[in-house]
Amino acid sequence: MTSSLIQIAGLKKHYQMGGTTVRALDGVDLEIPAHTLTVVMGPSGSGKSSLLYLLGGLDRPTAGEITVSGERLDQMDENALALFRRKTMGFIFQSFNLVPSMSALENVAFPMQFAGIATARRNEKSKQLLEQVGLADRSHHTPSELSGGQQQRVAVARALVNDPSLILADEPTGNLDSQSGIAVMQLLSDLHRSGRTVLVVTHDPRMTRFATHKIFLLDGRVVSEAEYQSAALDAMQVSHGG
Amino acid sequence: MKFRDLLRLVINNLNRRKARVALTAIGVVIGTAAVVILVSLAIGLQMNATEQLYGIGDLSQIYVMPSYGGEGSFVGPIGGGGGGGEIASPDILLLTNSAVDDLRGISGVKSVIPREYLMSSMFMQFRKTMGYSGVYGVGTSDLADLGLETQQGTTQLSRATVVIGYMVAQNFSDPNLRPGQEPPPPPELYDQQVQLIISKWDSEGNEIRRNFSVRVAGVLSESGSEADWSVYMPLEQVKAMNEWAMGTRINYNKTGYNEVIVKVENADRTLEVRDQILAMGFQANTMLDFVQGINNFYKILQVVLGGVGAIALLVAAIGIANTMAMSILERTREIGLMKAVGATNRDVLTIFLGEAAGIGFIGGVGGVLTGWLAGQALNVVAVAYLAQQAAEQGGMPPSVAVYTPLWLPVFVLLFSIFIGMVSGLYPALRAATMIPVLALKYE
Repeated sequence: MTSSLIQIAGLKKHYQMGGTTVRALDGVDLEIPAHTLTVVMGPSGSGKSSLLYLLGGLDRPTAGEITVSGERLDQMDENALALFRRKTMGFIFQSFNLVPSMSALENVAFPMQFAGIATARRNEKSKQLLEQVGLADRSHHTPSELSGGQQQRVAVARALVNDPSLILADEPTGNLDSQSGIAVMQLLSDLHRSGRTVLVVTHDPRMTRFATHKIFLLDGRVVSEAEYQSAALDAMQVSHGG
Repeated sequence: MKFRDLLRLVINNLNRRKARVALTAIGVVIGTAAVVILVSLAIGLQMNATEQLYGIGDLSQIYVMPSYGGEGSFVGPIGGGGGGGEIASPDILLLTNSAVDDLRGISGVKSVIPREYLMSSMFMQFRKTMGYSGVYGVGTSDLADLGLETQQGTTQLSRATVVIGYMVAQNFSDPNLRPGQEPPPPPELYDQQVQLIISKWDSEGNEIRRNFSVRVAGVLSESGSEADWSVYMPLEQVKAMNEWAMGTRINYNKTGYNEVIVKVENADRTLEVRDQILAMGFQANTMLDFVQGINNFYKILQVVLGGVGAIALLVAAIGIANTMAMSILERTREIGLMKAVGATNRDVLTIFLGEAAGIGFIGGVGGVLTGWLAGQALNVVAVAYLAQQAAEQGGMPPSVAVYTPLWLPVFVLLFSIFIGMVSGLYPALRAATMIPVLALKYE
């Protein structure tokens, strides 16, 4: 049996929006084992992104416990969280978030600056990772000279530079055509097979075929696949029947 | 984060928005250039004034005069219960020979020389010309003791000789000159026999004259001080003349000298010795007080002019703050990303402070260069103009109008970096404390 990399208990995230309280997450309990590729499914507003950002230590929970690699994220201060992210996590975003003025190589190497790694070592590692994502010949291009799929692959390479044990991807295929999307998912699947833990948040049902684990979220709560499917069916009937 | 990486990142980031950085830096250029030019001008003016003051007198000399009480000896409660204060019995302190000995005893004093002026009406006659000058009797046989130098002859004083100031001959004119007649050039008095005529009046109002024939043994070099217009004689000679004019014997042990010149070994100790003399109860003045007053004035001028420049810098600082705030707004998602990939708040703060300091530095370099060049140009123009003025109206032409000492550009450069950091502090703090998820989702 695989040990749990992530444990979540009673997790709540509420925030105020225009005078009303939005319950993005409303009591979530989860365990995600290490060396899995977990896909978190849910329609927009279901709280799946909130879950990812809380797991990444980029946001603070309203209540509940988050444990990653045996460390309580909800009890860390901001500095400790930054250091934890630096050595444990790699992020991939829907909109890539590459620095426009930097080349692909510099973008990949960027996180290593904060870790204080020497320039030669940074360049070597970044080149190797660009090769791994199939962009060795694009290393000196800036993001504006790359296609969306290529940009996202640069972002995947960047997520790997600090050798994280956990990769968190927020709608990584959301801005890509289906072919590029599949290629990126294939890349994430490869990472999982090489022994990393990958967590992907998406509303695209095609992505579930790469998953070893699936989590379904509706209105800030974890639901079973059956509940999720029937809710999705209801939603479709409402939109068609209306 | 390593310093080299930080530096490269800051340069890259500033490079990304050249036009905006350049425009903001121009504000700093104007401010720092203004500070450099204006402070340089104040320093130049001060140097000029000091140069002109150079001849004002020996800064190691203290002029000591007797104290006749009065001011400063008003004792008792002021405005108290009815009686008011009382005047203390006037504490007259005379410069007798024993007082002179006391002055000699002060540590740091090189010599103490009594000086008396002739107290009767006097004129000099040389051939057909007449001249008027102040006559001093000094208690030394060598005027070099007073720091005076001659251009002709000797500084030694003896009976029947005088040493005259540089301008004394200019005072001679022919009283019998007919209107329209060309006045003769000033006489060449060196080594000439001159008649020194003093006069007094008897009880019936009749003028009594006495004639002394003296040889001009030396002519002093120009010093820019009262010495230029004075005639120097041995003290005993002037004492005898004064005794004749007043009809009484003078005993300096009883009446004291009118004035004593205390010469200090080193001008650094002038004020210290002056304070000791004041503590003894005498009046004491030194040109150093005057020079220091002038120096203080120019210090204030420097601060005021520097302050005018600083206003321009303040405006520039607001520009930097604005540029940084804009930049941080535009790069909110980048800040979120930096945090996601492991940048600490401190890393983010350092990067943005570095960028603000970079704008300050660029502006500072530009401003120092601009200010220095403009100062040099101004110097050439101003010195030429002032030299022409001096040639037309007399006086010493200035050698410098704007002077930039090395410390000024160094200070201004460091200050502009500091200004950059201070104005970038608030935006950088805002960037550093952004909540990562909000920064990443910022549209």
